[in-house]
Amino acid sequence: MEMFQNPGLKKMIFSIQYHQPSTWEASLIEVQPVKTESNKTGKTSGKSRKQVLNPRTTKMTVDQDWMSVYPAAAPFKPSAVPLPIRMGYPVEKGVPMAKDGNLELIKIPNFLHLTPVAIKKHCGVLKDFCTEWPKALDSDEKCEKHFPIEIETSSYVSAGPSLYNPKARTVTLKIRLSKLNLNDHAKKKFIRLVGERYCKNTDLLTITTDRCPLQRQNYDYTMYLLTVLYHESWKTEDWEKKKTEADMEEYIWEKSRSEKNILKTLLQIKASEKTAEVTQEDLLCSEEVENYKKSVVALKNEGDTKNNLSHYKEAVKKLLKLI
Amino acid sequence: MSRPGSNSWEAPVARVCPCIPGTGTRVMGDCSQAAVAGVPELLSACRGLHTSAACCKNRAARVRVGKGDKPVTYEQAHPPHYIAHRKGWLSLHTSNLDGEQGAAERTVEDVFIRKFLYGTFPGCLADEVVIKRRANQLVICMVVLQRLAPSKMYFLVGYTEALLSAFYKCPVRLCLQTLPAKQVYKYI
Repeated sequence: MEMFQNPGLKKMIFSIQYHQPSTWEASLIEVQPVKTESNKTGKTSGKSRKQVLNPRTTKMTVDQDWMSVYPAAAPFKPSAVPLPIRMGYPVEKGVPMAKDGNLELIKIPNFLHLTPVAIKKHCGVLKDFCTEWPKALDSDEKCEKHFPIEIETSSYVSAGPSLYNPKARTVTLKIRLSKLNLNDHAKKKFIRLVGERYCKNTDLLTITTDRCPLQRQNYDYTMYLLTVLYHESWKTEDWEKKKTEADMEEYIWEKSRSEKNILKTLLQIKASEKTAEVTQEDLLCSEEVENYKKSVVALKNEGDTKNNLSHYKEAVKKLLKLI
Repeated sequence: MSRPGSNSWEAPVARVCPCIPGTGTRVMGDCSQAAVAGVPELLSACRGLHTSAACCKNRAARVRVGKGDKPVTYEQAHPPHYIAHRKGWLSLHTSNLDGEQGAAERTVEDVFIRKFLYGTFPGCLADEVVIKRRANQLVICMVVLQRLAPSKMYFLVGYTEALLSAFYKCPVRLCLQTLPAKQVYKYI
């Protein structure tokens, strides 16, 4: 019973049984019947006298250091674990098999090397190799401000002698476009160049590469792509001047058909009313035209919502003085 | 199937007929039924294929019942359908998980290791060998009888570890457990 007062061992007591044994064997620790003590030279005298060592469990003290018994991950050793564990499906009117020579106990992975004391010691040793998180980076925004680029890579470990996993070479780069120094034209061109890789809602550009055989090469390739995209979006090619209205990403009112139409209409109205000559600039600056412009832009860019349509209706009424 | 009246003889195809396993019922091929029906041309030219239910019995990893004097270990006493119910797995590695590589290579390695150990420790293995893979390390757990002298045992262990490490280019560790005799689960 004294064995179980060791705090490290206490948490380890488990008995894998399918049947409750009739006698409570937890209080008894079976000792392997030993014939003789071991002889160092191993000479067998006369008829073979089996020279078998006493199991280590008989020599364990209550306050022993468990880490010396199980320093690392190891299979279950019945002679080193002082617990009367049984495992197996019992025969009829029987009990599960004892721990000696029990293959089931060997098959399963055990965590005898991971007592809380052992883990604490291990962490203490590892701490010498760790550096503290810089105190200046205490929030997500600060991290993003100083380190806008995010690189994601994965490495894989698997059973077997090979280090190489084909999935290990992908590299993903994430950056917000607001962190890059782009003017209006450059931003629009950039978004066109990257296409699907840009998410409008989060303003996040994600570039994933795996075309090179090494992770290092893929990383260099992503940085190269970012650089090229940035510089190319700042350049204006000759053929960009041929941008038509159909190519525009969003609706711009200036120099549009709607502007021309409304000016023509208003001029005609003024001419028919025979009022003083009003110039185009005056018309453009007037409040009604401004309102109309806003409503048309909203309709074209955002679509037909109830709000937009009612806004357009009011603007038109005011413009044509129909109220 | 030769049609009645035709002179050509076609080899009868063995049929797996539904029958109660365990009973020694014989099922005759259709050829002989035609002969039984009394078609004269076929009586001499046809031979029926007799299949019996004993051939359909599953024999995989099963120790056949004896007189009650055959000792079997826990591993031998449980047929394969008890794996994951009453038995664990003898070989543990991650290659059989979804998306992992190298399952076939690990299996072939396991087969070789078992044969190798069966030969290297002649008559000493009390039970099956358990093979575990931890990252690239190979941990081989064996339950061995105390038949050999300890010095010989140590030599064989070192020899196995060195040879297998050289073969598989990864660290190999042998973990032995010695017993005076095989652990008998029951007598069948």
